Amino acid sequence: MQSFSDSGGQTPPGAGEVCALRRRLIPTWPPAPLNTAHESTGVRALGGSQSAVGVGPGPADVLRVSASPPPLPTLTGLRDDKLTPSSSSPGLGGTPGESVRHCSAPEDPIFRFSSLHSYLFPGTIKSRDMSRKRHHLVPETFGVKRRRKRGLVESDPLRGEPGSARAAVSELMQLFPRGLFEDALPPIVLRSQVYSLVPDRTVADRQLKELQEQREIRIVQLGFDLDAHGIIFTEDYRTRVLKACDGRPYAGAVQKFLASVLPACGDLSFQQDQMTQTFGFRDSEITHLVNAGVLTVRDAGSWWLAVPGAGRFIKYFVKGRQAVLGMVRKSKYRELLLSELLGRRAPAVVRLGLTYHVHDLIGAQLVDCISTTSGTLLRLPET
Amino acid sequence: MLGFLSARQTGLEDPLRLRRAESTRSMLSGGSDGVIVLYDLENSSRQSYYTCKAVCSIGRDHPDVHRYSVETVQWYPHDTGMFTSSSFDKTLKVWDTNTLQTADVFNFEETVYSHHMSPVSTKHCLVAVGTRGPKVQLCDLKSGSCSHILQGHRQEILAVSWSPRYDYILATASADSRVKLWDVRRASGCLITLDQHNGKKSQAVESANTAHNGKVNGLCFTSDGLHLLTVGTDNRMRLWNSSNGENTLVNYGKVCNNSKKGLKFTVSCGCSSEFVFVPYGSTIAVYTVYLGEQITMLKGHYKTVDCCVFQSNFQELYSGSRDCNILAWVPSLYEPVPDDDETTTKSQLNPAFEDAWSSSDEEG
Repeated sequence: MQSFSDSGGQTPPGAGEVCALRRRLIPTWPPAPLNTAHESTGVRALGGSQSAVGVGPGPADVLRVSASPPPLPTLTGLRDDKLTPSSSSPGLGGTPGESVRHCSAPEDPIFRFSSLHSYLFPGTIKSRDMSRKRHHLVPETFGVKRRRKRGLVESDPLRGEPGSARAAVSELMQLFPRGLFEDALPPIVLRSQVYSLVPDRTVADRQLKELQEQREIRIVQLGFDLDAHGIIFTEDYRTRVLKACDGRPYAGAVQKFLASVLPACGDLSFQQDQMTQTFGFRDSEITHLVNAGVLTVRDAGSWWLAVPGAGRFIKYFVKGRQAVLGMVRKSKYRELLLSELLGRRAPAVVRLGLTYHVHDLIGAQLVDCISTTSGTLLRLPET
Repeated sequence: MLGFLSARQTGLEDPLRLRRAESTRSMLSGGSDGVIVLYDLENSSRQSYYTCKAVCSIGRDHPDVHRYSVETVQWYPHDTGMFTSSSFDKTLKVWDTNTLQTADVFNFEETVYSHHMSPVSTKHCLVAVGTRGPKVQLCDLKSGSCSHILQGHRQEILAVSWSPRYDYILATASADSRVKLWDVRRASGCLITLDQHNGKKSQAVESANTAHNGKVNGLCFTSDGLHLLTVGTDNRMRLWNSSNGENTLVNYGKVCNNSKKGLKFTVSCGCSSEFVFVPYGSTIAVYTVYLGEQITMLKGHYKTVDCCVFQSNFQELYSGSRDCNILAWVPSLYEPVPDDDETTTKSQLNPAFEDAWSSSDEEG
């Protein structure tokens, strides 16, 4: 089950959070499902019997015990799915400055902790209730806000920091059903899905733009909606396109295109004079590229970059999006709890997976995301 | 808290266009029935809830009243002796405020969607007019005729705006998804066509550049003229750097826009971080300009809000909607007082007062 949270009005991740160094208790926790960076105070339960609850009792003690700059212990160990209703969602008014915001900060594993932990607190596996109470006290005392663990950081601690666009793109790529297209299509992620994971859209756009300039990703115009941009890793794109055009008459032109144009120009579209003068393509070669599906016509003398064979993906995507939106629309009061939506059986039309579509709906603001005491609620906007 | 101005005695039609005076006190509003009303904005009643009085109006019985809906009204930038109004009846009329007579009328072949006169210029008196045709017309008030035509758009021009920084720079927005920046002294076409993807700039490319994926409805320069905001029917608002036409990629999220005509929105002036107030259905959405964060939605109107305008001297926002009301939104420094009997002692300062917009209400 994933839990999503309200993406409105959040401070960007990493912004000025006074907090603490976090102690990471042992690497064995379940990989995080797609968590957004804020709001939720949930923390992950550690694998095994070691509920990090042990940390709970007397974090103050820990402070006194350790000599060097005492890391304030993370109050880990509880999976808290209850999102506190946040007052910061747009449209609910309220004073944004006052709401409790949980920002994610880059988490550095400062301590690997278990041995120390059991040394200090032998046999301190407390009950869940007790520890929850203690955990609540500490934040107030030390002004520490609880953070949701980002399992993703474990896997890629050097690249994206949690909450960054790159991390979000990698996470979302896992959701793409490769088997459905027999690996002929590179995994495609939509920009709106990235917005659902990175709460500040401006930051997300700028980071994607940087990734685009570094040629790590390509952004592709998906035909059905001018606003929907697909994001593909350049390497994936290159290998799939080469595989697709193997042995065909246009293979030569495609290889020339991939070798010369792709690294040089990171844009979504290409112009006639650019292709002919700067890169030396003849008209016949450009026609080959269009036939290969690598370019799609945009205007006279102007082409979009495209993914060959993406038509099937777009068809499944459009149908799936309508189906998932329909599930919300048909429910009573036109709203559904996210957990309930994800728990339902996907209609047969939805080939790409419910989670994939839900990310897209949230990010594209086709549904409003409201935090409630029972979790996130998806509601169709009135307009 | 909401405030209701008793908009007009004849209150039958919705006020479409508002314009506040440079000299602080008066506001013009044009309605879809062709009526133009002047309001006095000064709150001399010393109460927190008040109603602004209509000072005078050009009603249906006036011989020169517009026959159809008034789309845009604007005060003469340098004083309130004169104002201009343009309407769907294909005219642009120049009025003398004191006598309420038309001083001049410009006729066009197509309905006029929008007009604007440069707020800073002292060297020219050109009024840029956007009509249903693809050509932008520049009318000279001194000579009383159209002096220039700017060609380049392919469909109707929905919004025009002069830059508040340079005398001769004009931005135009059209239903063909393009926004063009012009220097009106240049004979050879527009300076820049804004491109939302920030692609390569080259001559041949210009024709394919689009600022939005739908019609571009509204244009507003920030008060220093360095940035330009545009809204489009693709439900997006974009912030552009007006000197090089680059999309700053500030993302405001979904800004619902179903208007078939122009949408008049406004930017604050004099706040520490500027806000943009955009009509969003029957509410007004407030965003910070440079960060794209949504601050709040101002709820008070019953129907679609068409226009809003900001008065920097009073730091007030006025909005007009299809429910025939004009509301004044004032920043609330104190908790709103529930009784309107007397001015009671003030409660403590609302800690986030710069965000808590409220408005004042009273029958007066």
